[in-house]
Amino acid sequence: MVVGDVTTAVDVLIIGAGPAGYVAAIRAAQLGRHVTLVEADSVGGVCLQRGCIPLKALLSASERYQQMRQESLAEMGISAETVSFDWPSMQAWKQSVVERLVNGVQRLIAGNRIELLKGTAWFINSEEMRVEGEELSHRLKFEHCVLATGASAAPLPDLPYDGQQVLTPEQALQLTELPAKLSIFGSDYIALELATLFARLGVQVRLYTPGDQILPDVDATPLRLVQAGLRKLGVQIATKADIAALDERPLVVSNGVRPNTARLSLDEAAIKITEQGGIIVDSMQQSSVPHIYAVGDCTGSRALASIAIKQGKIAAEVLSGQRVQFAPLVVPLVVHTTPELATVGLSAEAAERAGYSIITGRFPLAANGRALTLGTDAGVATIVANKDDGSVLGATVVGPRAGDLIGQMSLAIEMGATLTDLSEIIYAHPGLSEMLQESADHALNQAIHILR
Amino acid sequence: MQEFKLPDLGEGMQEAEIRRWLIQPGDTLKLDQPMVEVETDKAVVEIPSPIAGRVSAIRVQEGTVAKLGDVLVIFDTPGATSAPARPVVTTPAADSPAAAPEITSQVSMQAPTNGVTVHQRVLAAPAVRKRAFELGIELANVQSSHPSGRVTMDDLQHYIEHAQQESAASPPVASDRVSELAPAQANGARRSASVSFGKQQEEAEERQPLTGLRKRIAERMERSWRTIPHATAFDEIDGTALAALRQTLKPVAEQRGVRLTYMPLLVKLLLPVLKEFPIFNASLDEEKREIVYKRAYHIGIATDSPEGLLVPVLRNADQLTIMQIAEQLEHLIAGAQKRTLALSEVSGSTFTLNNVGSFGGSSGTPIINYPETAILAVGRLQEKAIVQDSKIVARTMLPLALSFDHRVIDGALAGRFLSRFRALVEQPQQLLLDMI
Repeated sequence: MVVGDVTTAVDVLIIGAGPAGYVAAIRAAQLGRHVTLVEADSVGGVCLQRGCIPLKALLSASERYQQMRQESLAEMGISAETVSFDWPSMQAWKQSVVERLVNGVQRLIAGNRIELLKGTAWFINSEEMRVEGEELSHRLKFEHCVLATGASAAPLPDLPYDGQQVLTPEQALQLTELPAKLSIFGSDYIALELATLFARLGVQVRLYTPGDQILPDVDATPLRLVQAGLRKLGVQIATKADIAALDERPLVVSNGVRPNTARLSLDEAAIKITEQGGIIVDSMQQSSVPHIYAVGDCTGSRALASIAIKQGKIAAEVLSGQRVQFAPLVVPLVVHTTPELATVGLSAEAAERAGYSIITGRFPLAANGRALTLGTDAGVATIVANKDDGSVLGATVVGPRAGDLIGQMSLAIEMGATLTDLSEIIYAHPGLSEMLQESADHALNQAIHILR
Repeated sequence: MQEFKLPDLGEGMQEAEIRRWLIQPGDTLKLDQPMVEVETDKAVVEIPSPIAGRVSAIRVQEGTVAKLGDVLVIFDTPGATSAPARPVVTTPAADSPAAAPEITSQVSMQAPTNGVTVHQRVLAAPAVRKRAFELGIELANVQSSHPSGRVTMDDLQHYIEHAQQESAASPPVASDRVSELAPAQANGARRSASVSFGKQQEEAEERQPLTGLRKRIAERMERSWRTIPHATAFDEIDGTALAALRQTLKPVAEQRGVRLTYMPLLVKLLLPVLKEFPIFNASLDEEKREIVYKRAYHIGIATDSPEGLLVPVLRNADQLTIMQIAEQLEHLIAGAQKRTLALSEVSGSTFTLNNVGSFGGSSGTPIINYPETAILAVGRLQEKAIVQDSKIVARTMLPLALSFDHRVIDGALAGRFLSRFRALVEQPQQLLLDMI
């Protein structure tokens, strides 16, 4: 194939410059390794270019638009007569946010003296990879390799994605024209956020969930508020839907992802994968071949950038000789609906299933002063704790800025904080965080602002 | 059930100290997954898992010494290689939804077995858990100093110190420090004695048990010094030509990415001498009262490591070029620093070379690396005023000290050995004569 092929020796070879890959590259460079990073596209991965970041940008733009139209503004004495939006401009703004972030990542890569190769890579054997791009063809012999190739929308058996009538979530975010009607199939946070986004912009949205409820594994009380919020936006929700019987178009399907591992020639390196194609790794991110690591979505773990980022750091540290592992107790999940939902740790049901005897507490947003001054009262904080020692096992927050509030509950759980710990500290008043304290107090049967 | 016993690690090693466990009971291991770090005479070796299976119990604690054939680990193996090695972190979508709500609960907050027994979480901050993993310590084994059962960094530190002292010291040596840290363990007499004077005594001296590498070094030195009647011959030779040779070769080696020190040159110059005087590349079989001449030339290189003296071995040095010796030395010295050398890289030397100069001394009397018959220490190259033909000239001098086993080597022979070495060092071009 290539005449006069010369093998180049590299130290650390990282495939994929998404959140897992570029973080691994930077961390390894910090630890003094020489890093070669291979990416076929521009840096940042799905999260930055076509997933989380574009979706969150459009969500916040659509939220501003929607809030301007609410009657509640009139109650505050504000009148906004002609509020309108321009979809192409909104898209252009989204793109500018993406580009700014891509530039930032590029600067970090260059600043850490990481060599970036534009191309695709596959294994020749367990010590060498071929990298090919439009302008290059290399045979690289590596000391350590980190695979961070991500995942793509899982294909549907009889329903090919065409980007027009049947769309992946990524494709839905790139629609050049807003449709009048849009059907969405799925029950994960992506399906809910897409429904929220398009409904806010006046699209008639129907949401079909495959199972009984949206967001399985979230407690019922907070979930009802999210469901009510979607209905208020005009989203029609149908449960137990059969995708084969769905003939409404355009249709967006959020059906999970499948690891991008098919083109890596993993067999040549004897790297083991699961039936779904996820690269099998241990808690130190090592694959069945110890000097080859895999991080992020290509391992088949939950497709969350937060997990990918941590795994990227772990792999870089392990290959640099440190003994560390990926072992978080909890991973927070945020859903940007109206109201916003954020959850971390175990739901009451999951905690009981795991064998804990539990106590729970809750506090409604309507009893929080700060929430009322923000002009909103739809929300709640719930908390689940271990009855034996009072340690916090899980928490869910629904309401404004829930995604930011949940961070302190992650900290509480990871640190092994108890309900009493939460009850003892001082929260700024009036503040939304007080909800968390009062939910802990409620579990201890001492909440002030609700009647027992 | 399958037992895993401490295997023969080669070179007649009869025991090994369990340094660090890399696994915990309940872990599911892949074939060849590293299980444990053990320390033998001079190396730290990782033992991989011989099978794929779940670890049911670990039988030997960290810091204790296991004998050849001791059971280290017990595996659950219902079938030969039953449980298809289930990764800890990946959550295959095929799992029933009830069993895998999220990674996190699988990792640590949920019972890993069948979901019925409550897995008691050890309350500990992320930084403490991270440190425990780094040290290979199961947090559940660490005793908490808090009524809540919370394990802190201090608790972890106490656990480590305790484990080290327990493994190293037999009861009579139990120190004052032990009695203060762990009152329950203290031996009664010592405690009562230290009640009034404890504080002062502690300040006056501190006892530290010999463990790990230090213990091995002590044992080996004792054995060598007690068994071998040492004698040492000194000389000082002219290293001017050697220094010039190095200056010439150094830039060339650098271009090829190798840092050329004096050691590779000295090894190369030593080899013809060893071949001419085979008794220096030999050992004495004390039982059979026979001299064993070695046909291979494995040169031990005394090296300083953070934990003490290590002697990595340059195997078959006579078959290597100077460049190859330099490359291997770099690898061996780096390995000694990090303690990542394989057993074959730290054992089996036939003669040992000790560069005292690199440690900062001008010379010294080396102790023979038992069971070898001799060891050569080279000191620091230094410019000195030398009288030559009744004139004082400045020459770069190299001090030598050759310790030898006086049972098999006489002083006259040691002198001849040194003067042959002197001839080669002072005229290194002689090497060319015998080059193929």
